Amino acid sequence: MPLGLSLDLALQNPDYVPEYREDVGLGGGEGDGSVTSGTLDWLNVSWEPQDETANEPEEKYVGFGNFSYVLGDPKFHKALGNTAIYVFCTIAIALPLAFFLAHFLRQVPGRIRPVLSFLLLLPGLCLSGVLATLFQLFFHGREGALNQWLVTPMGLEPINWLLDPSFVLPALVLQAVWRWTGFIVLFFLCGMEAIPKSFYEAAKVEGAGAWRVMRSITFPAVRHVVVFAAVFLVIDGFASFSGAYNLLGGSGGILDSGLLLVTYLYQVAFPGGSGQFDFPAAAAMSLMVVPLTALVLFLVLFGRNRLSKA
Amino acid sequence: MRTTSANYLSPAVIVSLLAGLVFSYPFLWMFLSAFKTNKEIYQPLLLFPADYEWDAFAALFSGEYLDFTSFFLNSVFISCAQAFFATVVTACAGFAFAKLNFPFKGALFLLAILVILVPKQALAIPLFEWLTWLELNGSRWAVILPGIASGLGIVFFTQIFRRIPNELIDLARVEGASLPRTFLAILPLVAPALITYGLIHFILAWQEHLFPLLLLSDANQTLPLGLAKLRDSSHRIPEAVAMAAATFTLIPVVALFAFFYRKMRTALSELTLH
Repeated sequence: MPLGLSLDLALQNPDYVPEYREDVGLGGGEGDGSVTSGTLDWLNVSWEPQDETANEPEEKYVGFGNFSYVLGDPKFHKALGNTAIYVFCTIAIALPLAFFLAHFLRQVPGRIRPVLSFLLLLPGLCLSGVLATLFQLFFHGREGALNQWLVTPMGLEPINWLLDPSFVLPALVLQAVWRWTGFIVLFFLCGMEAIPKSFYEAAKVEGAGAWRVMRSITFPAVRHVVVFAAVFLVIDGFASFSGAYNLLGGSGGILDSGLLLVTYLYQVAFPGGSGQFDFPAAAAMSLMVVPLTALVLFLVLFGRNRLSKA
Repeated sequence: MRTTSANYLSPAVIVSLLAGLVFSYPFLWMFLSAFKTNKEIYQPLLLFPADYEWDAFAALFSGEYLDFTSFFLNSVFISCAQAFFATVVTACAGFAFAKLNFPFKGALFLLAILVILVPKQALAIPLFEWLTWLELNGSRWAVILPGIASGLGIVFFTQIFRRIPNELIDLARVEGASLPRTFLAILPLVAPALITYGLIHFILAWQEHLFPLLLLSDANQTLPLGLAKLRDSSHRIPEAVAMAAATFTLIPVVALFAFFYRKMRTALSELTLH
């Protein structure tokens, strides 16, 4: 039902706009507005008073006009494609990595295991602003730690992570992987601890190898964790804003190579530092994200059913 | 698992140790950077500062750049309130879904799942309008109230309460206990789940960036916004201050997590989506 409700809102939204602008006075820059200039300094959005009458929108029902505007915008396509790649790569890297890490952690002596798994968890606990700060320094042009420790020793040219269009998105993916892997390891560990020891003993008696044990005992037992983690990552990926925002400062990065859906939503909602909400287009945008996420998640859950039947 | 000395050097331990180092090293660097000069911070390979001066921490709390204490207290208040009310509301809802029969139960549960599937950020704009209509804009409750409705919590607690045997409920009914009274009597049985959910919600609220940015007035700002201010593009403020602030944003969550870690593990294994 929330979908239907939201859709209603969207269709009525063009009507809402003028009323909204008078009430809140964000665009008009009234002093007592809820978000004042100080708050949004870092957003590079200026809230200087605008000539209200010049920008007064016409009150008319535009039907699906806003939707078709968004659908026709090449930047929206770019953002959509980027987000899809971002979500897919994050899942493809984080899930197997977390599974293997959890598998290894199980073999670590009990006394230091909680400490190690807690260390893995740290990036997931901190604010994404902190995360992006740390990351920026690690990805920092030529001197960044990643370049110095990994790329240069391998005999490659240092990568300018945040200025080279083909490396902006990988940097974002790496950030997401680094952030969430620890949490997923924790989920996996909890799932693995529920496996009865006798299963492993039986496998040992029957002479099953390590790979076979992992495939036939450990993996089926944590399958529900895979689904849960995948759903979590999809939601976070589609909604991710703060990480990309702190890393790229609100732009889409060079040539929009790091433009994600929510960043785009922001750009549409606060166009070009004009201090005016372009509310209808942003609302249409945000409502498009909803069915998309639902669709992807439906596919994930559908895949889960297929998986458990197989 | 037996702990012999040979076990400490197996490949699994080495891989895990390496991973732990990779994941936590940046935080050590962050903490030590609070003592560094700007020049030292811009050399990411440098780990230890030349000398340890507590200037950055002093500047942070003296309010030289911004009123960090008030940011911190706002964050604590908002996150605690959100976690507390969300846990109460979703635990009640979970109990109802698991143990009671009422009309449209299936449809309502589907709604809870839909709330999980739709990211909150995607609905920021309609929400903004509603809160303006309620005249809550700018107050701390504007961030707390939307955070209370959590589909994940409902699904989680429904699964937790399903594990409680029905006989307990029947017994309470036979003894003449009212429904709220029964619910209160069962609560201690699900204490680990309550703590786990409260913690997770606390962390999510603590990290929230978009809603506080849109909704809070100047007096009520939270830590993510404060951090962003400390790192504004003018580079007026030494980086070390931002690093000190970042360290302090991490301390409460890490302390909470470390304290309740063991309790969490038992409840987390039940977190699935059905």
